[in-house]
Amino acid sequence: MQDVVIETRKLTKIYKRDEFEVVALKEADFTLRRGDFVALMGPSGSGKSTLLHLAAAMDKPTSGSIRVLGEDIAALRDREIAAWRNRHVGFVFQSFNLIPVLTAHENVELPLKLMRMTRQQREEHSRTALELVGLGDRVGHFPRQLSGGQEQRVAIARAIVTDPDLILADEPTGNLDANSAQEVLTLLRRLNEEFGKTVVIVTHDPHAARFARGIRYIEKGELLPEGATPEDWTPATPFAVTTPGNPKSSAQA
Amino acid sequence: MQFVSLILKNSLRNRRRTLLTIASVALSFCLLGVLLALYNALFFSEAKDEQALRLVTRHKVSLTLVMPKYYDQRIQQVSGVAAVLPTMWYGGAYRDARDQRNFFPRFACDPARLFDVYTDFVIDPEQKQAFIRDRRGALVGKTLADKFGWKLGERITLVGDIFPGELELYLRGIFEHPTDDEVLYFPFEYLYEGLPSGRRDFVGTFVILAKSPEDVPKVSADIDELFRNSPVPTRTETEKAFALSFLSFLGNVKVFLLALCGAVTFTILLVSANTMAMSIRERYREVGVLKTLGFTQRAVMGLLLGEAAAIAMLGGALGLGLASFLCVGIRSLPAFVQETKTLAVEPQVALFCMMFAAFMGIASALIPALGASRASIVDALRFTD
Ligand SMILES: Nc1ncnc2c1ncn2[C@@H]1O[C@H](COP(=O)(O)OP(=O)(O)O)[C@@H](O)[C@H]1O
Ligand SMILES: [Mg+2]
Repeated sequence: MQDVVIETRKLTKIYKRDEFEVVALKEADFTLRRGDFVALMGPSGSGKSTLLHLAAAMDKPTSGSIRVLGEDIAALRDREIAAWRNRHVGFVFQSFNLIPVLTAHENVELPLKLMRMTRQQREEHSRTALELVGLGDRVGHFPRQLSGGQEQRVAIARAIVTDPDLILADEPTGNLDANSAQEVLTLLRRLNEEFGKTVVIVTHDPHAARFARGIRYIEKGELLPEGATPEDWTPATPFAVTTPGNPKSSAQA
Repeated sequence: MQFVSLILKNSLRNRRRTLLTIASVALSFCLLGVLLALYNALFFSEAKDEQALRLVTRHKVSLTLVMPKYYDQRIQQVSGVAAVLPTMWYGGAYRDARDQRNFFPRFACDPARLFDVYTDFVIDPEQKQAFIRDRRGALVGKTLADKFGWKLGERITLVGDIFPGELELYLRGIFEHPTDDEVLYFPFEYLYEGLPSGRRDFVGTFVILAKSPEDVPKVSADIDELFRNSPVPTRTETEKAFALSFLSFLGNVKVFLLALCGAVTFTILLVSANTMAMSIRERYREVGVLKTLGFTQRAVMGLLLGEAAAIAMLGGALGLGLASFLCVGIRSLPAFVQETKTLAVEPQVALFCMMFAAFMGIASALIPALGASRASIVDALRFTD
């Protein structure tokens, strides 16, 4: 059992668009231990999603190293990454991203179809997951027949159905009303406390962040050190845009 | 396959568009099915049993030229020949010749030898004997008799054009044959009666029955070799090839059919490609979600291409059903070639079409599917349309 779930050193991600470069994440050192529940906070465009995507091996870093659950994920090949993510990471999106033509059960079952499992096993796991998120009575419902909060809980069921160690949620309450948000956050908290899942949520809602055990701030691509808070909090920071010859200048400005 | 249900559900996501696509693919495949059925019937179908054993010898230069009657004996001596029937195309007119419906082939022949070559004619033995005995007897196929409402004993008057005078024939026999039954035979004897002796010793064609299918090519070559250096050289080919040679434009028909098939194919490709491009574009973001769940690029490809293939094959199947239906209609039309009377979408044509449909579907979706499945997850997830 790995005690450290995520460990990054000087993790950097630069997006290139035409002649522009965007430093989305700059030399981030981030350590997440087993059983942690961390909220990642920062203004829009500060690189929160980028860090989450790198941690889930959904994208490759430009430089620096990242180990997740002991695996050097940047070194894995595409197909290995897919299988690894399927098994070890549950990802929750802001906009739920359920497949509209599939029922709640079929959506939750989808990741299991990539594993060696009988139909019966899949059904059992899916039912367990849906019951856990409090939707045992909605298995046959299609996404459009569910409320936003229910959709997000189905999405969480889909994220946990393969029993991953790590749950990454990118603004999971961003599209929800206060009550539904409360339910979803309580659920994530429960997954952390009762089931020992390691959880990272991205949010810019301070109320949501209080559900986590710790908060990390990120600004203009820079992850503030543990415990540090930005005194000059300025929401909606413009993109960090640089020219190729001088990639660091404006990120530091 | 785990994902068949997802593929089918995906394909019905935009019902109206999918149904329109299926409909247009179906129409195209209906056309393609009929065209290929025709092509298959004309150029690929195996002649049936006895038909495969029969050959026709004619004047090498033209069907309108005649051959000396004594060729008969020489041909009979060629090894592999089981029976020979000299025949002569009479032409002439029945009733009003300007009406195409009154046209049917009429041949003079030797009645006693007719059934040695056409072993597959089904006829009542008494009628057969009546036809052989009557100098002015006529033998017709059942379809022809039914068409004109002829009964046994009916008087059939033919007015000559190639030959002088008129023929008054009496219907003595009606035979059944699945395809070659819109034809009339009558005795040489009666034809020769009205001819000057100089015109009596010629024959239009020799119909030959070979002993076995293996003999057919050799018989054909041997007969033509026999008369190669004579003033009247011959051309001997299978009955089927002979029938097709009537359609002098057939070479063009082949090209025409293929060109039509090509055009139809291209249309299907465009229609299907358009639909797939749209539906994959709409799901660009979803591809990112699937990959986040652990779907590999290859699995995503499989889903997208499978969907395209499913839509195309559904359209293809419907189209072939429609095509079979059309073939039934074509069968009942007046035949300009015997082959259209049994026209059907044969299993091998159907199989080919279905494989082709799958291939077309996949081909039409290949480029957008590659684009979507190769996109990085973060790009796909950021995609909004
Ligand atoms: N796939 C991408 N291509 C180009 N630029 C990107 C991409 N993803 C993110 N960015 C840019 O990187 C920066 C950080 O983005 P992101 O991590 O999504 O911020 P956050 O989640 O904190 O709002 C932004 O300027 C964004 O425009
Ligand atoms: Mg974000």
